Amino acid sequence: MIWEVFRQEKPGKYHQHCGNVHAPDRDMALMFAQIQHGRRMQTNSLWVVPRDEIGEVDTEDAKFGGTTDKAYRWAMTYNNVDASFAAEVEESEDEQREAAKKREAAKKQEEAQS
Amino acid sequence: MDLDTVKARAGPRQFSPKDDMPEEYRKAATRMIQFHANSEVMGGYLDKAFTRMAPSLDRKLACTAKTQDEIGHAQLLYRAAETLGVKTREEMLDELERGDGKFLNCFHYPVSSWYEAPMIDFFVDGGAMRRQATLKSTSWEPYAHAMDKVCFEEGFHVKHGEDILRELMRSSKANQERTQEVFDTWWPRILQFFGPMNSESTHNDFAQQVGLKTVSNSELRQAFLNAYIPKAEKYGLEIPDEPRIEYDEENGQYRVVEEDLDWDEFWTIAKNDYEGSYEQIGSRRQRHEAVSWVREAMDGWEQSSAGTTPQAAD
Ligand SMILES: [Fe+2]
Ligand SMILES: [Fe+2]
Repeated sequence: MIWEVFRQEKPGKYHQHCGNVHAPDRDMALMFAQIQHGRRMQTNSLWVVPRDEIGEVDTEDAKFGGTTDKAYRWAMTYNNVDASFAAEVEESEDEQREAAKKREAAKKQEEAQS
Repeated sequence: MDLDTVKARAGPRQFSPKDDMPEEYRKAATRMIQFHANSEVMGGYLDKAFTRMAPSLDRKLACTAKTQDEIGHAQLLYRAAETLGVKTREEMLDELERGDGKFLNCFHYPVSSWYEAPMIDFFVDGGAMRRQATLKSTSWEPYAHAMDKVCFEEGFHVKHGEDILRELMRSSKANQERTQEVFDTWWPRILQFFGPMNSESTHNDFAQQVGLKTVSNSELRQAFLNAYIPKAEKYGLEIPDEPRIEYDEENGQYRVVEEDLDWDEFWTIAKNDYEGSYEQIGSRRQRHEAVSWVREAMDGWEQSSAGTTPQAAD
């Protein structure tokens, strides 16, 4: 059976999906994951999860971010006021701007393809 | 792990559910995260009132989005608290319902007008966000991870809150006066948001020693005042004469005269024994009960086995 592998680089970081392995049981899956995914890349911890246990929804099935204009949810919308007075507000706005940019780019690409 | 090792190792995101943490740590972390989660729930319920009062469709949309975010923050935090193995989410929600769960002082005061929206959405969220940003470096990893997502979203809350304040303070004289009036009422509560300073709260030291908390309440309040007093003044709000606040030009610090604040009220609130506490906890309980059928239906569904498939390959 197939096991999806998630690697955490350093303590405190997120486990991120990095690939999968064939293995007959969990112990073997952990061993193969170490060999394939934990040896060269910096690794603090690995998770293995049976593929069948994973639920998925993707852009075929869902409109992530919705279909209506949700500008009111973004800090950038409120540009009559300036976030620079507080570092944490500014940082949050930067993260949101980055996320919005990525979503926009993905949308454009999708439109160009269809 | 013994307590001395915990103190020696304490640092940002140092401990996770894989570590065998001493009971003192797990209890202190649970107390802190549960308080935080409860505050998100009660803040969300308080905020909910503004959707109806909001003067435009855009504002209503933003208010519902914010309420949704806050309840989402509560969900993340109860999950983070559960990972300590001291209390289940159920238990924590029951405590909140019974009136035993503690939460931030500012959410014990029912709101009744739109003028109060920027008091919560700008000043209180701003103070909360300042604190939350420092909690990205808390030692309990699941708590820090929750803060990553919370802080990502909070920038919208604070900017939207400031935008409301700006709008009100640039409109009619009457609106400006009403906003000033509610600011006079809210200002001392906002100062108390960071807790009492001189006798820094009893759990504070331990929380700092084990890295749960990285910044003291007085440092947080200082940073808050430095950022938010100039904002209030920029929009033409006058800082009330009482409580007295002195600005020390030399070190750029504000000094609040603690005796001018009503600490009896603060401690009554801390026991959930203020009039507003009963009102806020009670109205939330009613709404919570009104949708109990949804939770029951979901539990029934989970028990009828549809929730998880049996464990594979073990
Ligand atoms: Fe929140
Ligand atoms: Fe918020």
